[in-house]
Amino acid sequence: MASALRSAILRHIRVPATQVVSANGSRLTAVRLMSSHDDHITKDEVINRVLDVVKCFPKVDPSKVTPEVHFEKDLGLDSLDTVEIVMALEEEFKLEIPDKEAVRIESCEQAIEYVYNHPMSS
Amino acid sequence: MAHIMLKKLKVPANSGSLEEARSRTFEFFRMCCRSIPHIMEIYNLYDVVTPSQLRSAAAAEVRKNSNVTNPKVIDMLLFKGTEELMNIVNQSKQRHHIVGQYVVGNQGLVQDLAAKDQDTSNFLKNFYGSNYS
Repeated sequence: MASALRSAILRHIRVPATQVVSANGSRLTAVRLMSSHDDHITKDEVINRVLDVVKCFPKVDPSKVTPEVHFEKDLGLDSLDTVEIVMALEEEFKLEIPDKEAVRIESCEQAIEYVYNHPMSS
Repeated sequence: MAHIMLKKLKVPANSGSLEEARSRTFEFFRMCCRSIPHIMEIYNLYDVVTPSQLRSAAAAEVRKNSNVTNPKVIDMLLFKGTEELMNIVNQSKQRHHIVGQYVVGNQGLVQDLAAKDQDTSNFLKNFYGSNYS
């Protein structure tokens, strides 16, 4: 009874869609108040911060670090170092990367790609 | 989050292969890394160490046993590592344990910093160096 009434009402109610226009005339479409995830970081920022994290790693020669560098092949790190860098990236971008995806991050390029595509990175 | 997970931890079945033991080691290391912020907080370590230094210290502990190839031995070492991590996270230790073992422990407990230390005999230096592990 209640559900039939509810669906009958919902079928007839129409809310007029009006565009919210702010004082300076710009449309406020994608504004979610109290949300910290709207200002998603740009690709350049991701690249800079990932490279900073890798450069700060004690065993890495900072001059060798480029956005395409491979951790094990180019920087001479081992698998444990790679895990350590991925954990440092987790800390830097406030993420929690699941184990299955963490093992696939083996180069700066993959790290940048993963962090940039992650909706929660900040 | 990691420290809450740690309380529900059970002893896993033996690793069947070296590959499984290897992935378990990385899993354990990730768990250590994820509890570091909590450890920094409860032992108030911000003025003596950074999270990345602690991470390197944990990696060094894992690397100490990198030559082990027997999966059973690796399982045992992981068990001991988990026990140690639990003791740290449950605050069964005190601040100086952490500082001694993972902050200054890597460089030796006694360091030659002052000018008068340069005159100390090599015998004493070796003694200090060997007496803490």
